[in-house]
Amino acid sequence: MPPSRESMQNRGDEDEVCPVCKSSRYLNPDMQFLINPECYHKMCESCVDRIFSSGPANCPVAGCHKTLRKNRFRRQTFEDINVEREVDIRRRVMQILNRREEEFDSKRAWDDFLEQREEIIANLVHGTDVAKTEANLHSYAQANMHSIRANQALEAQEASSFQERQTQEQELARLRREVARQEYENERREMLAGREDVLSRLAAGGPGDAAAIAREGQKVLLKKSSARRSEEERIRQKQAALRGSENKKAGQAALTTADKAGGIGDPSFIKGLKRIKTPEPEKPYDPFGGLAPNKRDYYTLRDYYPSSYLDPLRQNVRAQAGGYDLQEYYSRTLLEAFAGLGCFINEEVAQRDATSSLGATKPVSTEGAAMAASSKSPAESF
Amino acid sequence: MIEDDIYRTSSQFRLWSFTEASLQSLRATTNATACERVRSDIRKSRDAPQSASSSAAGTPAANPGSDVDSKAGEGSEDDCLTPAEEHQLVQYFCEQIIKLGEMYKPPLPTIVRATATQYLKRFYLTNSPMTYHPKNIMLCALFLATKTDNYYISLNQFAAGVPNDPKPDEIIRFEFLIMQSLRFTFDVRHPFRGLEGGIMELSAILEGLGKPAPHFPSQSPDELKRKLQSLSPPQGVQQGTSVQDRLARAHHGTREILKTAAQMTDAYFLYTPSQIWLAAFMVADRPLADFYLDTKLGGPVDENNKGNPFYELRVKLLRTLTDCANLLQSYTPPVSNQEQKNALRRIQKKLSRLQPRDKPEAVGQKRIPAAATDSGNSESEMERLAKKRKLDGAQANDLFGGELVMQRTKQTQGQQPPP
Repeated sequence: MPPSRESMQNRGDEDEVCPVCKSSRYLNPDMQFLINPECYHKMCESCVDRIFSSGPANCPVAGCHKTLRKNRFRRQTFEDINVEREVDIRRRVMQILNRREEEFDSKRAWDDFLEQREEIIANLVHGTDVAKTEANLHSYAQANMHSIRANQALEAQEASSFQERQTQEQELARLRREVARQEYENERREMLAGREDVLSRLAAGGPGDAAAIAREGQKVLLKKSSARRSEEERIRQKQAALRGSENKKAGQAALTTADKAGGIGDPSFIKGLKRIKTPEPEKPYDPFGGLAPNKRDYYTLRDYYPSSYLDPLRQNVRAQAGGYDLQEYYSRTLLEAFAGLGCFINEEVAQRDATSSLGATKPVSTEGAAMAASSKSPAESF
Repeated sequence: MIEDDIYRTSSQFRLWSFTEASLQSLRATTNATACERVRSDIRKSRDAPQSASSSAAGTPAANPGSDVDSKAGEGSEDDCLTPAEEHQLVQYFCEQIIKLGEMYKPPLPTIVRATATQYLKRFYLTNSPMTYHPKNIMLCALFLATKTDNYYISLNQFAAGVPNDPKPDEIIRFEFLIMQSLRFTFDVRHPFRGLEGGIMELSAILEGLGKPAPHFPSQSPDELKRKLQSLSPPQGVQQGTSVQDRLARAHHGTREILKTAAQMTDAYFLYTPSQIWLAAFMVADRPLADFYLDTKLGGPVDENNKGNPFYELRVKLLRTLTDCANLLQSYTPPVSNQEQKNALRRIQKKLSRLQPRDKPEAVGQKRIPAAATDSGNSESEMERLAKKRKLDGAQANDLFGGELVMQRTKQTQGQQPPP
């Protein structure tokens, strides 16, 4: 049994001393050491309380001028402070560079990406090119905010669904165990009852048919058990099928979300990302196919035209109540007055006939078909 | 011009507009095809009795046989109608439509009659009167027009109004055939409503309510009104009449032309409705029509007006309108003419000999599956099979009918020994 974290921290460090206030564990056995991921200098809880309660302050360790905040202080996870730091950096970088394998064109590109990420982490841990790497990381985070957030959500979802699946599986296993136990119980009880039955019949019956009764009882028992078994088999199969389809569905759902989660790629930083095809934004539907509905070239429509036989209609309640609108009449008559005024059939149709000889030949062909039909008909009627 | 684009989408423009040459060639082809059918029919009917008589009697057949031969040969040569005769006949029946429409109480609206006339004309572009007699087609076209023009009249009511009391079934028998020949385009664009629009706008101008045309925003209502009032009067009218009266007279005159000449001539095929009504308007009152066009397309047509962006259009339009007006004016009511009457009688007599021997509805029925689709042959075959199947289904008491292929073979086997 491994020692708990508490005991590990306290183990053998009786003489451990807080580097700030120099109080030792020997004097204060409840002493807890905290660190701040800003500079990873260790100090005891009371020091943190004392120094940082009234807002941010400089690190008290000599030579370290980092400004620390109380809320960032936490318990150390790893004994080695370097490991602690690396894990922190790794977590931060992984959070930003959280591309997923399905976002890459090829396996190679994904591997390159992994290597690049490791390199960045190593740079930050070992302090090579820190400023430049940080700047890169920052700009990437800025540019890909959406995809980062989407991938984070995806990860969280996966984690939660994994959790869920596990609990579900456990539940199912429990149910199966329960059912098996029940089954065994039933079988035993039935066997006992059958035996009882045979015995009672033997007791009641004559001496001659003892063997027959015994055989019969055996048969009944067998039949029952086989029926039960087939029934169970059926149920089991159904459950399996159900489970399979569920799994499939879950897989599909995951895939679609992954597809959707792709963000804007940054070709300068991460290479080999799949181009995400954003569908063309649909143009607004134009019901008139390019014609301006109320534009006219020959006339300007008025609200009212004097007319001796239309004027009474304007006052006619019965006509108006039905939704009849004289405006419609005006626009229609004027449109028909000029529609086609500039269409010169002489030229346009001649041109059309020249380009496609369809218009002239088609009716002729139907006539031909009619003739064929009519010439065939007497032969058929004979 | 956007209005022109709107018109170009209409089926009248797309399918039923022709140049004079194409119209003529189309009619000639239709006539030629029909003549061929008539001749082949005559030949067949000539062959059939001859063979029958020769096989039956044998001995005295030589002389009368040659006699029949020569007569039939002579008939087949010049008995067929020429395209001109066909056209004349169709025109006669167009007039009959108009007359028949007037006989109803109340008379059928002008627009219904006009639509029916155009249906008949369109029908006989691709069909010959030698195949379908116009007197049958005409009734059905008129009935179809009452439906497409939204003027409801029941078939029995319609049949009651027709002289000689044809049966309703007789009337409606050709309906699908007509619809098919119209290529299922029932929309006929008439010039009547356009005329109303033009008169409406002119009277608005007269009352000082005119609006400038979109391309000539400088026109002012007063200026338009002054110009309209100062127009020179048309020929044959005294100076004294008011402009209102003049407008009313022009309106009436144009309407009369549209109701008769525009229907009877080929104007609908050759010109657009707005051109037709403006041409008719020109015939009725030339200065007024010119003025109206000037307000729309700018200034009169002369040399110093070349800067006008619509100059070209205006010149072309003037030419077209003049042609159309000439066409409209060339029309004379044919019944007034005894000679024409005689010619018609002769044509009708000729026609009665040329009708298909088998019943016309048989031709119609045969035609439907063949021409309804482009792949006529397979369709009719399909239909025949379907009918056979139905027949078999009625005979056999198998609940779901027999197997399809089996049934067919059975059918053919069953047919081979004739009863």
